Amino acid sequence: MGVKVVPRHGSSLKDKLYIPGIAAGMKTTFKHFVKNLKDTSNLRTTQYPEVQPDDITDRYRGVHRLTKREDDSVKCVACYMCATACPAECIEIEAEERFDGQDEKMPKKFTIDLLECVYCGYCVTACPCDAIRMDTGIFSFTGKTREEFVVDKDYLLNNERSKDFNDD
Amino acid sequence: MSSASIIVVIVNILLAVVLAVGTTPIMVWWERRVAGFIQDRTGPNRCSIYGFRLGGLIQSFADMLKLVFKEDFSPSHVKYKFFYTIAPAIVFFCSFLTFAVIPFADTLVIDGFEYTMQAIPTELGIMWFLAYAGLATYGIILGGYSSNSKFGLLSSVRAAAQVVSYEAAMGLSIISMLVTYGTIHLSDMVAFQGGIIEFFNYEGTSIGLPAWGIIMQPLAALIFIVTAFAEANRAPFDIAEGESEIVAGYHTEYSAMRFGLFQVGEYAAMSASSAIIVTLFFGGYHIPWVDTETIQSNIYVVFGVIAVSLVFMTFVLTKWMKKNYSWADENDSRAREGKILVKAFWMMTGAVCLVLILFIVTGLGTNGINIATAVIQIGTFLVKFFMMSLVFIWVRWTLLRFRYDQLQMLGWKVLLPLAILNIFITATVVVVFGS
Repeated sequence: MGVKVVPRHGSSLKDKLYIPGIAAGMKTTFKHFVKNLKDTSNLRTTQYPEVQPDDITDRYRGVHRLTKREDDSVKCVACYMCATACPAECIEIEAEERFDGQDEKMPKKFTIDLLECVYCGYCVTACPCDAIRMDTGIFSFTGKTREEFVVDKDYLLNNERSKDFNDD
Repeated sequence: MSSASIIVVIVNILLAVVLAVGTTPIMVWWERRVAGFIQDRTGPNRCSIYGFRLGGLIQSFADMLKLVFKEDFSPSHVKYKFFYTIAPAIVFFCSFLTFAVIPFADTLVIDGFEYTMQAIPTELGIMWFLAYAGLATYGIILGGYSSNSKFGLLSSVRAAAQVVSYEAAMGLSIISMLVTYGTIHLSDMVAFQGGIIEFFNYEGTSIGLPAWGIIMQPLAALIFIVTAFAEANRAPFDIAEGESEIVAGYHTEYSAMRFGLFQVGEYAAMSASSAIIVTLFFGGYHIPWVDTETIQSNIYVVFGVIAVSLVFMTFVLTKWMKKNYSWADENDSRAREGKILVKAFWMMTGAVCLVLILFIVTGLGTNGINIATAVIQIGTFLVKFFMMSLVFIWVRWTLLRFRYDQLQMLGWKVLLPLAILNIFITATVVVVFGS
């Protein structure tokens, strides 16, 4: 078996004096300090609310949206597949009969409690009609009351696919 | 007492109070912003009053307000409430009192009366500093011990061991300085440093380096600075705090303003250490190569130089602000704040320059010249003081904390023998060549 001898540092006079090492370290930190002080755009911090992140991938699971047919009517057929698949039980659907000839059923009420949702994407996988998607790219949803986080069908229908994402 | 003497005393005490306590928010702000810049991040810059962020300075005041208004909670397992309560006060007061002996300017002469520019014109000098700097650690020891928790106790033991091993080296390094200066009075020490180490004499003017402590006694300066870091409980010697091993050490069980007092005490200790280092080794209030008489006899030239350099500094500052303190959106509060601050800086510079020009035109009496010299020297002291504080901060964000055994090794086996050796060398030089 080969034995690898790892050299032990800190026994040379230079290391024991501490001063050269400390001076080298302080030089490094000072260089960073001066560089950032001269031009604060060198800082790595993103000034978040004003500067939004631009590195959200196409597969990012954001807030949900309900897709539409060509005639702008809701694609969902209220099959309850997503609500069944949901591990957080945050989707609530109420079905009604559909009379416009497109299909037999459509959701009368489709609410998602975003506080309950774990953003797992199972509802998207479960959907047989590609009616629910999580490609809005919305990563921060804020509100002042719990009720504001229960989003309804209109909100979900009005959500668009994120413009930063590539087209399908 | 004349009204002039009362004013001088009040100014001195105010200076000591402001430098010891009032600078804490500024130090915290510096600490966090410098730390941020060293680590390529911004540090706090969000807190604002009417859109005024002052580069994040407001955050310190917000934090202070928060600490003041927080619930003063003391855990039920604290048995000795009295000691638990006075511990932060001891830390705070001792660090604060250390400032009392720092000379801010040369002896001020008004109408023939001499005023020592110290908050407490005591005869003890450096002994006062040693006494109170050492005593501040007792607050830490007491706080940790009376917290009645394992972390607090461990921290107390560490602080006690550290103060024992570093106080010795510190005292010995000061002894070599006493031998060099031949006095224990800080004002005499600083007066001594106004001189020049003569290399050669050119037509009656001596040319050489200023007789600063660090140039005459580099080894003592190094030992003193290292031990001062340990004394102020700053990184790399903050093993008493040791948040990676013992949570927060002595202030684990403290909250609200009691914790705040510990924090203020820590920064006051840092300020006091910077002030004493500047006083002992960096010429105190002296501008290098320019002693008090030179300023007094060339006061109008000095005024001119100050006015020009002020305008230049404001120009550099505003240029920097236009580049780094602006915001793309014109209507944003940040853009507005930047513009207002630039205007305010120029107005302040203009006002100071106007006053200086007025002085140059009308001329000053003897009292006026003396007071102006004192103000200039206080300014010099402040610049040096803040630079030294910056070094404290800079070191904190560069060096790692010493391991406990390494710390003791360094204290007993390196610093103490070096300090004793330095005393021998200094004494020999003084005896052979005269002081």
